Amino acid sequence: MEYSKLTDKEKALLDSLRDAIVVIDTEAAKEAAQKIIDAQIDPRVALKHSIAEAAELVGAKFDCGELFLPHLVMVGDLMEEVGTILEKDIPPDQIQKKKVIVIATVQGDMHSIGKNIVSTMLRSSGFIIHDMGVDVPSTAIIQKAKEVKAEMIALSSLLTTTMPYQKEVIDDLVSMRLRDQFKVMVGGGPVTRQYAESIGADGYGKDAIEALEEAKRLLL
Amino acid sequence: MISLLDIAERTQTGEKVEEKTWDMEFFQTISGLVKKYRIQYPGGDSYINVDDSLVERAFEAGLECLERLGIYCITTRRRVKLNREEIMTAIREAPNEILMGEGRDRRIWKQRKVEEKEMLNVCPGHHTPYTEDLAGLIIKNFAQIPRTDFIEGFNFSKVEDRDIIGPPMEVYASRREVGWMREGVRKAGRPGLAIVYYPINTRAEDLICVMDPDCGLRRTDGILLSLLPDLKMEQDMLSAAIVYEEYGCFKLSGSFAIAGGFCGGIEGAIVEGIVKPIAAMIAYRDYIHYTGIEHVHMLNGRQILIPGVNWARSVVNQALNRFTHTICMRWIIPTSGAGTELNLLEIAMQSTEAPINGMNLYAPRHCRTTTNHGQTPLEAEWMIEVSDAVIEQAFDRKSANEFIGKLAKRFEGAKPQDGYSVTECYDLVHHNPKPEYEKVYMGVKKELKEMGLNLG
Repeated sequence: MEYSKLTDKEKALLDSLRDAIVVIDTEAAKEAAQKIIDAQIDPRVALKHSIAEAAELVGAKFDCGELFLPHLVMVGDLMEEVGTILEKDIPPDQIQKKKVIVIATVQGDMHSIGKNIVSTMLRSSGFIIHDMGVDVPSTAIIQKAKEVKAEMIALSSLLTTTMPYQKEVIDDLVSMRLRDQFKVMVGGGPVTRQYAESIGADGYGKDAIEALEEAKRLLL
Repeated sequence: MISLLDIAERTQTGEKVEEKTWDMEFFQTISGLVKKYRIQYPGGDSYINVDDSLVERAFEAGLECLERLGIYCITTRRRVKLNREEIMTAIREAPNEILMGEGRDRRIWKQRKVEEKEMLNVCPGHHTPYTEDLAGLIIKNFAQIPRTDFIEGFNFSKVEDRDIIGPPMEVYASRREVGWMREGVRKAGRPGLAIVYYPINTRAEDLICVMDPDCGLRRTDGILLSLLPDLKMEQDMLSAAIVYEEYGCFKLSGSFAIAGGFCGGIEGAIVEGIVKPIAAMIAYRDYIHYTGIEHVHMLNGRQILIPGVNWARSVVNQALNRFTHTICMRWIIPTSGAGTELNLLEIAMQSTEAPINGMNLYAPRHCRTTTNHGQTPLEAEWMIEVSDAVIEQAFDRKSANEFIGKLAKRFEGAKPQDGYSVTECYDLVHHNPKPEYEKVYMGVKKELKEMGLNLG
């Protein structure tokens, strides 16, 4: 059932869930999720409306400096909890499969803040994220992507000298005949769209907001 | 002071903590301290802090932060705990000046005072990538700026036209970088000028391979060994710190906090900004630091100015200069690229802040620098010109605040400008900006004179 066809009372419930997530009120959000279930509102509508809208609002608040990285982490955690409540009554074959992304800062590079922001932004927007941290070799990234059946590999590099390791991942995927299995998105301070294209990446994000848009474009 | 061996041992024996747990504990600790010590941005047109009691409280918050959290080793996922006595001893015993370079180029880098009256120390350039074909000219150009006290290296992705991949090539490239640095300063007529190695990579072999009195780092040179954000350290850097401590090089750290990250907003960044240089000094024996705060949206080039960032930077540096021996440097990171009006205005703003808050001057460089697109010698000379004028005109905190307020109005509604490559706007052969860039510079200089700064 579409949101527009719900009663005002039902819409208010969905809005209260969205608002509770945005202000990171864990108890209120879990309570609202349970009320939605109790009111027999299709939880898929709640997932699509409340959670997706909350993700957009939170992204906008981060963008304008109202929220910071730790808030994105907390929102991501809360969305997972709420998602668990809402998905309890949905038959497994009807749960929209979330797209899986493996993200890492490439080998030799210790910079993490950009990658952390992208990672939490993607997670709070509904992607399943496996964040491998920093200084991660190509083989480990690909191994993880295979293991978790990722749809995308996202690579961060903040040093000019570590940018070639982004290319290495793509080259290794080609030589292992796995290139078609994964979308690859790259980013980081010195990385440009031209560079991304030159190494055969599928996408490029100048910052976290662009990275989110690219991930949606490539995967949804 | 606690020894590096003690630190090394604690990275192996300290409490095990998962990184995500550390990150959230870091945020919650700092958020609590911001409230406890009433660290709050006063708002309005506050660019330079004038509240000395706030500085005292912020410093206490920093000490409590370090005592409660310690430092996190990401290699071993362990907490390196420090007690208050160890922290205070380290603060007391740290030097407030560093001798560097040789012969007629020997220099003393000093800690500065708030509302400093002496001309500042200067590192004019690099920490930005160049292609190897420009290496010789670039270094020579920056080294020949008379006020240069040391010069830092730069990054590059190809050596002898090959992509640098894997430890052996990284080692080779690292030694080439330092070799070019030595040659460049010699060509500038400053063979004894201190050079600081900018690591190609943070593997221990890449950090240590450049020690070489004949054609690499001499004992009077330096190396950048930065603590990571969120008070994180790692063992390769610690290994290098141990070696360099015995060899003799001085060490630097990028010790500014990033607002918007796990420290939270600008108030949280103040706490981290105060703690980080102290932690870097304890963990790696770094004595010279890029200090203050930046904001994630400014580093990304999304916004030129964010309210409170200048003020927060000011609190951090005033605290460090009043209560520690930290030798602070202002790393100017404009959101607009080289060759543009907004770039020069941003540099002017931060060059005004520097002597007022007690910071030396460090290489202006575009926030989203790409190869050959980060900086030219003109921005460094401009940085020196403005800060010298501020000192000569005896600006104090109040007058600096008013002047910076005028500059801030220039950024209202403006978007960062992309900028140009070094060869597009600068003539490296003759050490001159190209005519178009010269025109931009003269225009900005005229504007600042009209605002009240006595520029020659």
